[in-house]
Amino acid sequence: MLSYILFIATIGGIYGLLALSLNLIWGGVGMVNLGLAGFFAVGAYASALLTTVGHGPIAAGWLIALVAGGVAGLVVTLSTTRLREDYLAIVTLGFAETVRLVASNEIWLTRGTDGISGIPGPWKRALGPDFNAVYFLIVVLALLVVFFVMRRIDRSPYGRALRAIREDAQVAQVAGKPVLRFKTEAFVLSAAIAGLAGALYGHFTSYIAPDMFLPLITVYIFLAVASGGTGRPAGALVGAYLVMTLLESSRFFVEWIPGVTAVQRAALKELLIAVALIVVLRLKPSGVLPERVPPAPRPS
Amino acid sequence: MIILQALVNGIVSGTLLAVPAIGFTAMFAVLRFPNFSVSGVATLGAFAGYLAYGVGLQMAGSLVVAFAVAGVAGLAFDKLAHLPLIKQGALPAAIASIATGIILENVVRLGFGNAPRGYDRPIARDVFLGDIRVSPQQLETMGLALLLMLLVFAALAFTRIGKAMRASADNPELAALKGIRPERIATLASFVGMGLVGVGGMLLGLDSSIDPLTGTRILLSLFAAAVLGGLGSVPGAVLGAFLIGMAEELSVLVVGSQYRAAVGFIAILVVLTLRPRGLLGERAY
Amino acid sequence: MTNIRIGRRAALAAGVAALASPAVVRAQADPIKLATLTPLTGAGGPYGPVMAKAAASVVEEVNKAGGVLGRRIVLVSEDDQTNPEAAVRAARKLIDVDKVAAIMGTWASSVTTAVAPLCWESKTFLCTVSGADSITLLPHQGFLIRTQPNSKLQVTRVGEFILSLGAKKAFTMIPQTPFTQSTFDILNQVLPKGGCAHQSLIYDDKKTTYRTEVDQALRTSPDVILANGYTPDTVVLLKDLYRAGFKGKILGFAYSINQKLVDQVGQPEVVEGVYNFAPASAEGSSAFEKAKAASGSANPDPYTCQVYDHINLVLMAIASAKAATGEAIKENIRKATMSGGKVVDNAVDGLKEIAAGGKVDYAGASGPCDFDEKGDILDCKFRYEQIKAGKFTLVKIA
Repeated sequence: MLSYILFIATIGGIYGLLALSLNLIWGGVGMVNLGLAGFFAVGAYASALLTTVGHGPIAAGWLIALVAGGVAGLVVTLSTTRLREDYLAIVTLGFAETVRLVASNEIWLTRGTDGISGIPGPWKRALGPDFNAVYFLIVVLALLVVFFVMRRIDRSPYGRALRAIREDAQVAQVAGKPVLRFKTEAFVLSAAIAGLAGALYGHFTSYIAPDMFLPLITVYIFLAVASGGTGRPAGALVGAYLVMTLLESSRFFVEWIPGVTAVQRAALKELLIAVALIVVLRLKPSGVLPERVPPAPRPS
Repeated sequence: MIILQALVNGIVSGTLLAVPAIGFTAMFAVLRFPNFSVSGVATLGAFAGYLAYGVGLQMAGSLVVAFAVAGVAGLAFDKLAHLPLIKQGALPAAIASIATGIILENVVRLGFGNAPRGYDRPIARDVFLGDIRVSPQQLETMGLALLLMLLVFAALAFTRIGKAMRASADNPELAALKGIRPERIATLASFVGMGLVGVGGMLLGLDSSIDPLTGTRILLSLFAAAVLGGLGSVPGAVLGAFLIGMAEELSVLVVGSQYRAAVGFIAILVVLTLRPRGLLGERAY
Repeated sequence: MTNIRIGRRAALAAGVAALASPAVVRAQADPIKLATLTPLTGAGGPYGPVMAKAAASVVEEVNKAGGVLGRRIVLVSEDDQTNPEAAVRAARKLIDVDKVAAIMGTWASSVTTAVAPLCWESKTFLCTVSGADSITLLPHQGFLIRTQPNSKLQVTRVGEFILSLGAKKAFTMIPQTPFTQSTFDILNQVLPKGGCAHQSLIYDDKKTTYRTEVDQALRTSPDVILANGYTPDTVVLLKDLYRAGFKGKILGFAYSINQKLVDQVGQPEVVEGVYNFAPASAEGSSAFEKAKAASGSANPDPYTCQVYDHINLVLMAIASAKAATGEAIKENIRKATMSGGKVVDNAVDGLKEIAAGGKVDYAGASGPCDFDEKGDILDCKFRYEQIKAGKFTLVKIA
């Protein structure tokens, strides 16, 4: 049981990183990214390829995942930051699907639908059964670093500028804020974090494949950010663990429903998660930890 | 010659795609959020039509059933889940609609399981028009789709309620001043839009097979069509659907069909970079 | 590990109570836990539910007959969502919380590859139906068997069958899967040797029509088309081939060309004469009949047959080992099927024989189920069938 909880806590931490990534742009600038799974995949593949085919060190893999995620974010935003949010939603959804198609079909690079197995984990052989515990600490460390960077941004003048853009981009523009640049920067940073999450995932489970990066994972992260509270890093983190708890406990819950077939049980489980998202959005739109907007410093 | 044949195939599949794309874009024009639950609604429509056809209704009758079931379900979800969130902006509503899409997919799965099903419809050999091969059935399905589109255009152009809908989409404040009740227009847009999406799911399922993922499979093509033409523009959706249909079939000859879903994505990226409001802009009509 | 001290008297009392209670109660108290991990949602959804059902009904039969080693069997079913990310979480729960001895029925190759390391690290036995050749090459230390023939064996036989149909130009239509490339490679070797040209294309299995793909294939005027997808896309493909007036022969794997496909197409002419093939036991094997009953299907697909074999093999391995751990299953699974003992086609009979001190040699629904040291099945026979007037008729088993 303990190793199960440790495992789920680690995956929950990786979801937490994704939630922080989404929170930065959704909560921060009011942009939407339905292609989160795509950036997650880009990071996972970049790191996996560097450390397996390229025999590079794992730390370098994590670094390259950050960079690759960021570059992918830049490519997507260059043509889309000028678009309205609803267009961006659809374009990013298409981006994630395209990433998955490339990963499935460019076998020379990604090994196709076979996926990449044998991705090394840090000190995995030496640690033996303690690997999961150590890796959990690594994820927590990454989470803390990203979390404090996010909070720093959240409370800085930069964060206030981002929020101003979210509330009214035109007013921010008139006030002299370079809206386009701010939006691009936030999106690139967010994509980089999603890329890092992908790398952390790959080195933990030792295997990645295109099927992992389906849009459903993006839905889970939206549920996490919505339920935790948009616009506050701590909310995103709490939300990620709430979602993970819901995902895993629903397994045990549906086992007790009598008189249904295995498929119906699986359908009920997905239904439950979708209903939860709507209930949260309807009843607690500000999430468990609502946004706190610190007052702007008064000019002295 | 094979290029010409691929274009013809693309026009056929584009016509079928146009029906749900019109529904999606019409809802966007009035309600101002992208409704992602169209995937689930298309599946629901396909299954409703399948049941109706199975108990002996004619094709037209089954399409009406698909329209009604999808329209009612879509409207109910709009009222219960999406529209109350629109106050907070388009995004929360859009995200809720992803969840309702998942709900509908799983409701169908609860009732029917995962096994694919097919309409019990006679399958006929193709006929040749010159060197071009066309399927009489697909022509029939295409005819139904065209008829439906004609009805939509006629309703928008000539009926009072259609004109009110266009007015409300173009300028809600002005329309309200003229005594057009916005909630009624919203209700109508939800019902008709989702009805069209349901019919689209059925039309696309007629010649293939249907299962809980039917709607999800066409989702990206549908979005690409609507965005390409300009979100909220009904003629734009039709144009977009034809272009996406043809581009997808032509891409089979060039890069192979495994990259089909990417074709729509590349198309909208290119068009949006040049024309951020789509090919025909965003006027509803 | 923490040691809990139990008073000597309490321990003794508990032991006496355990001995005194009837066997049924003991069986209730300490069941053997096994699991199926099949796709109940996602792309594998058409297959997983029947697989889970077949395994569950075998367990029910065995429990009715008194269980294994006097213990009841509990079969936990989880959904892998045809998604390795979800599958890994489900497998963790099965291994760490349910503490199952074996996981059976993983379908998608990506799911199996993702779940396999968890299994061998925790010494849980894994039985899979995935086809990718890379799976048995994983460092699984014996904790994995695969009942699906690898593509070398399978596609070579397909190629030979295509040649036996007298083909001069064959065309393969296949979606992107882990065995797409190896299918091309093997057919490009086997077919030209027999004087048959071979061409191929990869299609998108989410499309609602394959008219242009069919045009492309027919331009090469093939006399045999290998339709190598899964049921939902193959239905569309066969309809479009019929519409295009293709007059040659069509063949495909039995996991896609099955009774469900025939029912869905609905019109017998469309599928008339289509061949399918599946790994099989020797002619007259009764296990296939048993698998029909277990799955409640007149024409169980090869995956269902394979899961039927998984559960039977695992149960008999546990009985032979007199222990219900993954390690014990690993050591004994080959004893249940390659011992040269009495030939059985189901676990209930096999368990009786083992309990009586005999040896069993399981002949399964998907084949003889003899494994090499990598966990791949040794050479097996294939069942070739042809659809005639909407019914599958046996062509040959070879």
